[in-house]
Amino acid sequence: MMGMLRLLAVLWLLRMAFRLLRFLLAAALLAVAWPVTCAAALSFTTAWLLGWPPARLWRAAARSWPVLAVYATAAALSARSWRPVALAPITAWQQATLMLAHGRVLQAMVLIAPLAVPAGLAAGGVVWARRHAAMEAGAAGRHALAPAIFDARQWRRAARAARGRLAAPGTVPLATGRGTVPVGAVIRAVGRRWTPVLEVPAAAFARHMVIVGASGTGKTNLMIRLWAGWYACAQSAARRGKPRPLLAALDCKGGADARAKADRTRRVLRGTGARRIAIWPDEASLSLWALPPRDLAVLLHQMIEHGDGAAAYYADITQAVLTMACCAPGGPPAGAAAFLARLDHGWLDDAWSAGTPAELAALHAARPHLGDIQLRYATLLGRLGPALDGPGRLADADAWYFILEGTAEPSVAEAQAMAITELIAHAATSRHTEPRTMLLAADDYSAVSRRVPLSNLYERGRSLGLGVMVSAQSWQGLGADDDERNRIAATADGGLFVMQTPYPEPLSALAGTRRVLESARKLLGATWGDEGTTAIHRAWTADPDLIRQLDTGQACYIHRGTAVFVQVARPKPSPLPLPAPRLPGSVIIPAAARDGHHRRDPADGPPTLPLPLLPADGPPPGSLDDVLGPAAPGGTLQ
Amino acid sequence: MNPFTALGLPPRPDLTDEQVRAAWRSAAAATHPDRADGGDPAAYAAAAAAYEQLRTGWGRSEALADLAVLPAILVPDEPAPPAWLKAWRAAAWLPARIVYGRPLQLAGRTVVAALAGYAAALLTAGTPSAPAAVTACGLWWLATARADLAPPPGR
Repeated sequence: MMGMLRLLAVLWLLRMAFRLLRFLLAAALLAVAWPVTCAAALSFTTAWLLGWPPARLWRAAARSWPVLAVYATAAALSARSWRPVALAPITAWQQATLMLAHGRVLQAMVLIAPLAVPAGLAAGGVVWARRHAAMEAGAAGRHALAPAIFDARQWRRAARAARGRLAAPGTVPLATGRGTVPVGAVIRAVGRRWTPVLEVPAAAFARHMVIVGASGTGKTNLMIRLWAGWYACAQSAARRGKPRPLLAALDCKGGADARAKADRTRRVLRGTGARRIAIWPDEASLSLWALPPRDLAVLLHQMIEHGDGAAAYYADITQAVLTMACCAPGGPPAGAAAFLARLDHGWLDDAWSAGTPAELAALHAARPHLGDIQLRYATLLGRLGPALDGPGRLADADAWYFILEGTAEPSVAEAQAMAITELIAHAATSRHTEPRTMLLAADDYSAVSRRVPLSNLYERGRSLGLGVMVSAQSWQGLGADDDERNRIAATADGGLFVMQTPYPEPLSALAGTRRVLESARKLLGATWGDEGTTAIHRAWTADPDLIRQLDTGQACYIHRGTAVFVQVARPKPSPLPLPAPRLPGSVIIPAAARDGHHRRDPADGPPTLPLPLLPADGPPPGSLDDVLGPAAPGGTLQ
Repeated sequence: MNPFTALGLPPRPDLTDEQVRAAWRSAAAATHPDRADGGDPAAYAAAAAAYEQLRTGWGRSEALADLAVLPAILVPDEPAPPAWLKAWRAAAWLPARIVYGRPLQLAGRTVVAALAGYAAALLTAGTPSAPAAVTACGLWWLATARADLAPPPGR
């Protein structure tokens, strides 16, 4: 028994002696390499205090190579040989240690800094990464809650550092010369290499992009930034011969906020070089009647609710009448009034007098219903207002901001949304208009998506080569049911931006999971013992709890199984004036235009979009009463 | 006539409705034919037409775009400029980017970098550390000063 106890005591002593020896060796090594130790400790502390990831230290170390190169060159030049360069670190260490021993601390530090700082940054990064990994695995800290507290503290510090980076004007421009769109300062990157600023390639906008965020989370800021960034990149590409950009933004909720947002969008887009920014329906109009006749007939048919069952019969009759009215031999109607005039048996009889027997039979069958059809369309077109009755073309502007009153008048907004998306689709596919790089952005599309599901809009946009960006206030706002929501979100090749939202789980799931180590440790009383187990588990890449707690302006960008948490920068264009457009010495019509593409000729004068008219009951343009009030008695100005 | 000139306004994209309205009031009051001196009917007509064009944001967009004379689509595809030209253009924008950025912070950063480099060179004169320390200060300045510049135009 005593022999066993003696053996155990000896083993314990050996173990303790080994630990002591190891500690002493490590301490001696750190003391000998004091310059690197100091630099590593400083970088570790800085990263801990500012919430920096280890990658930031490694980047700094990697970017210090010119300092080492200069040091090596100077050493070689002073010794007139490259051989002393290999011994330069030892020589510098000896000199610095000697200076330190003589109390010349500052001089010693500066002398050794060119060598110690890069090495210290790299070493500090390694230690900081090990600390991160240990905390994430739950294998470090003094108590069970330490890893969670460490994570929350580092998040706060990283968020504060990200906000600080955004204060500088040049950190996050709207676009870069590399064709990327900076979004904001990175707070945390999961499953992806850390960079100070999240940049989304402009090519990602040609795919589908989804933004989800509750009201007041900074979704508008993010969207305007993305639009402006895309526009700036596309404009830059247009100068190199690519098609000009055309942005179509649908604000599907409407209201006073929409006007303020439109105005802000206009100001930011102007800073990126957009010259004509049309706000529909307040300041500009479009012509529904510019669509090809058959498309126009189909659209007009879809804009009316027909019901099903027995009503299908009348729906077919309506479709036949619309087709005959729009595809009449004389050409399509030029406006709403002309269209309504065609829903008359006399007009249709005259127009189709030379029609085939089948057409004449259809006309005969539809005759009893023409009055009802005309009444329904007169009501619909009256509610839609003059903004779709032209004139005006999408091609006339660089950007369109469509305000649909989806909250106040949902049925009207739904019909308008159908018409506008049809016009955009036509502009994207027409072979007779200038080709444009287009981005269709729908904000709160759920307000008008009852009859045109968002997934249809998205799939159609993709097939037409449009970039489509949709936003919603919540997962539920993306679609009518989970099937549609999943179709929209799971196919967002361009990425998902998730801002604070109460139910982010379905969106987080799209980022997938990652392998993490989870440790369980034995408790001895209230403190941890020295035994435990570690196992591999799966954890969210985009932690839904973190997304639920995001502050205003913070977003999680989910793309290809990675998640980047970012502090979105406020969209602010460069205050520098844009250079004047390049004027050629003579007008040169590009080959595409000569080959039959219609392009605007300067001789055509200003574009076809009309100026908004004054109210019918208002004073005539230019009247002093408009601005100065009525003239005072005696003819003097007030 | 250029509608901006007719109202005495600069052709800027950030004009507001109120600025245009104020300019129109001023022009109208100065040129109206009902004035005792008979006014200037031609100038009044030009101002009225200009106000009609510029009174809305869209109208101003149109007028600004028309000032560009020829839309970009009529300019033939241009090859990418050579690197030296791009660098020259970037350098030409530098003074404006400094002025519109954070010039005070940039100046402070420059002073700190210069003093640190100078002090390091003094402390380690004659050793390879001197040029290396000055390089480190320069690198730090280059890496951080960019944030103090305003973005280039159009970005």
